[in-house]
Amino acid sequence: MKTFNKLLIAVTLIAASGAQAHDPSMHKEKAEKADCAAMKGMDHSKMDANDPVMQAMMKKCAEQMQHGEHAGHGEHAGHGEGHDHGAAQEPQEK
Amino acid sequence: MKIIKTLLLAVLIAAGGLIAFVYSGSYPMGADVPHTKFTHWLLETLRDRSIDKAASQIAMPALDDPELLLSGGPDYNEMCTGCHLKPGKDESDFTLGLYPTPPNLTDKAGDPRRQFWVIKHGIKASGMPAWGPTHDDQRIWAMVAFLQKLPELTPQQYQIITARDEEDSGHHH
Repeated sequence: MKTFNKLLIAVTLIAASGAQAHDPSMHKEKAEKADCAAMKGMDHSKMDANDPVMQAMMKKCAEQMQHGEHAGHGEHAGHGEGHDHGAAQEPQEK
Repeated sequence: MKIIKTLLLAVLIAAGGLIAFVYSGSYPMGADVPHTKFTHWLLETLRDRSIDKAASQIAMPALDDPELLLSGGPDYNEMCTGCHLKPGKDESDFTLGLYPTPPNLTDKAGDPRRQFWVIKHGIKASGMPAWGPTHDDQRIWAMVAFLQKLPELTPQQYQIITARDEEDSGHHH
């Protein structure tokens, strides 16, 4: 029975490590923030608001700004109680 | 009857010669020595026909959702750029050393069904692994959606879309 338990633990550990191997959170060590400041230097007249690339960039930078605001609010007024998440997700630049 | 016998003999001699050549060990297998034109044609045709046939049966979802780009971009950046490059990068140790040379996916968008199949199943003896055992179809399609846009991205756009922020779990669904 002891051997069976050891075997079960070993199999569980191996299976768990395999399941985590490609978890995106494993990549956090080399994660880098989106350089949203670069968007300011782009030619906005050539940007198409319906382009998925543009929408993705705006969403990414809006999320980053939202996280920044959350951190700021967290320091002064708890964890964003009463905060309008929908408004915060609106693109900042068009 | 005589012609048939002659043909059979020729086939036997050719088959024997081929087997002798295989066992002789004289074919250069180093990645730094290109295949002969015939071998190259044979392997490329075998690969392309096989992938075309398998990929033609795949049902493709809509790929123009920005959420797919935000999910597939970081995965591509972390798993694929070493071999398949990114905007502003023309070569790497892998593109110089692997044979066959991995395709530069920033050049032009390939067929999405083929890309899905290749990512999921990999390609034998090419250095391309099968990501299917560790990545579900939805995640692979997100990478395909990103690949469709990759050739038109500037380095700045690429950086923003592929960045995996600290708070970002990688799942934008």
